[in-house]
Amino acid sequence: MEGIDLQQTFIRSLTELGVPGGAAKAIWMPLPMLLMIIGATVGVLVTVWLERKISASAQQRIGPEFIGPLGVLAPVADGLKLIFKEDTVPAKADPLLFTLGPVIVVIPVFLSYLIVPFGQNLVITDVSMGVFLWIALSSVVPIGLLMSGYASNNKYSLLGGLRAAAQSISYEIPLALAVVAVVMMSNSLSTVDIVNQQSGYGILGWNIWRQPVGFLIFWIAALAECERIPFDLPEAEEELVAGYQTEYSGMKFALFYLGSYVNLVLSALLVAILYLGGWESPVSLTWLASLVGVSETSAWLEIVDAALGITMTLLKAYFLVFIAVLLRWTVPRVRIDQLLDLGWKFLLPVSLVNLLLTAALKIAFPVAFGG
Amino acid sequence: MLKFLKQVGDYAKETVQAAKYIGQGLSVTFDHMQRRPVTVQYPYEKLIPSERFRGRIHFEFDKCISCEVCVRVCPINLPVVDWEMNKTTKKKQLKHYSIDFGVCIFCGNCVEYCPTNCLSMTEEYELSAYDRHELNYDSVALGRLPYKVTDDPMVTPLRELAYLPKGVTEPHGVPADAQRAGLRPEQILEQEQAKN
Repeated sequence: MEGIDLQQTFIRSLTELGVPGGAAKAIWMPLPMLLMIIGATVGVLVTVWLERKISASAQQRIGPEFIGPLGVLAPVADGLKLIFKEDTVPAKADPLLFTLGPVIVVIPVFLSYLIVPFGQNLVITDVSMGVFLWIALSSVVPIGLLMSGYASNNKYSLLGGLRAAAQSISYEIPLALAVVAVVMMSNSLSTVDIVNQQSGYGILGWNIWRQPVGFLIFWIAALAECERIPFDLPEAEEELVAGYQTEYSGMKFALFYLGSYVNLVLSALLVAILYLGGWESPVSLTWLASLVGVSETSAWLEIVDAALGITMTLLKAYFLVFIAVLLRWTVPRVRIDQLLDLGWKFLLPVSLVNLLLTAALKIAFPVAFGG
Repeated sequence: MLKFLKQVGDYAKETVQAAKYIGQGLSVTFDHMQRRPVTVQYPYEKLIPSERFRGRIHFEFDKCISCEVCVRVCPINLPVVDWEMNKTTKKKQLKHYSIDFGVCIFCGNCVEYCPTNCLSMTEEYELSAYDRHELNYDSVALGRLPYKVTDDPMVTPLRELAYLPKGVTEPHGVPADAQRAGLRPEQILEQEQAKN
C-alpha cells in the first residue's frame, strides 16, 4: 500500500514545467515545514479553545461565548493581546538567557512534528530513528526551562525551573522504556513502520491491546512531560506564582504558552501513533475495499484513505486531549516528593517489567508480538 | 520470597484502587459536562434579590427624629446625623444625614433599631463608582428608590434557587406565576387561622 506521495507528484510536475530537478526539490522543501508550523499553531488554537470550553462545561459554566461563534476566536484574541503586550526584561536578569529560554523550549517541540505521520507518505521526513529523535528533542526542553528559571532573577522562577528539570528528567526514562517496548514489537524506530505494524486488523491490531501497561505509563509520563495537571507543579500558580513563567510577558510568555499546548497536542499525537494505530481507522479500510470489490490502487480510494488517515489521527489525538482536560478537573496536583516517588519508584520498575515481559512474549509468541 | 510476593500483591492492589478512584473522579467530571450551566449572564440577566436582601439603605428624611440610635448601634458609628435644636418648637431639626457605603458593612443594625422606621434596606447592590467619595450618600441619594430588576425591560429577571418551584433547579424559562416550593407566608397564616 503506497498511498499518495505528494512530494513525488509535486517534483514531477515542476520538472515537467522545465524546472531542474534539484531546484524542484528545493522549492518543495519549505512547503511541508510551513504546513506543519501552520498546522501545529492551528492545532494549538483549537486545543486552547477546547480546553476552555471543556473546563467550562466540567464546572457547569458556559466559557467563551461572544468572541466569534461559540467563542472560537478567544485563543486568537489571546494571541493578539500577547503580541501587542510590552515585552519586559526584569532588572538584573540575564537578558540573553532570558530571551533564549523560551526559544529553546519551543523549537524542539515544533521540530518534533517532523516525525508525526498522518498517512503512509504524509509525514515531513520518515526518519528511520523517528521516536528516538523525539525523545532526544524532548530532553532539550528542560534546558530551556532551567535557563529561563535561572535568568529571571527570581527565586520562584528558579524553583520552578529546577522542578521542571527534575520532573522532565525523571519522567523521560519510563517514557523511553515504554517506547522501547513498542519499538521492540515493531522492529523499527520509524513512526511510519510502527503504525504499519499495527495495521491490517483494524482496532484489534492496535498496540494498546498488546501494551496496555505501556500505554498507561506513556500517557502518565507524557502528561508529566507536558507539565499538565496533576503534574503541573513547576508552574503551579498557587505555590510558585507560575514558576519559571513568572517574569515573562508579551511574546516570550506567548512562546511558553504555545510551547506547552503544542507539546500537549504532540504527546497526544504520539500516543495515537504508538498505541492507537495512528492513521488506521478502527475498521481496516483495505479490508472494506476488498469486501466491496474496489481496487486498492484506484485514485479516489487513495484520496479517501489519505483524508481518513488525517481525520483519524486528529480524532484520536483530540480524544486524548479531551481526556487530559478532563483529568485536569478531576485529579489534584501532586507534591514534588510524590511526583518523584511515582516516577522513580513506580513507573520506572513497572516500565522495566513491562519491557522484560514484552521481550519474553516476543520470543514466546513471535506471531502476535512481532518476532 | 512469599513476603516479597505479598508486598508486590499489596502494591498492585493499591495501584488498582488508586486507578479506580481516578476513574470514579473522571466519571463525576464527565457527568458534570452534560449538566446545564448555572451561569447568569449578568448585565442581560439578573437574579431577583430575596426579600431578606440587605442592599443599599433607604432613608426617609421627614420621618427622622435625629435620635442618633442608628449611630449608636452602628459597629463603626457610620451615619452622620447633622441636626440643630429648634428653639421655638423645642425639637431637634435634622439638617443633613449621610451614610458612606464605601465603609458600611450592610449589617442592618441601624434599620433594626430605628424607632421611626425611617431607615430600610433596598435590593440595590450595584454600587460601583469611579471615586470612593461618590459612595458617601447624602439624604437625597439615600431617599432614591432603586429600579426593580423585574421592571427593567433590558433585563431578564431570574429567580434564585430558593424561589423556584419544587424540583426545579434551572431558573431559565420558569413561568412568572409558577409558585415556589413550600407554602407562602399568607398561606401559612390562613392554615393557622383555620386550625384555631
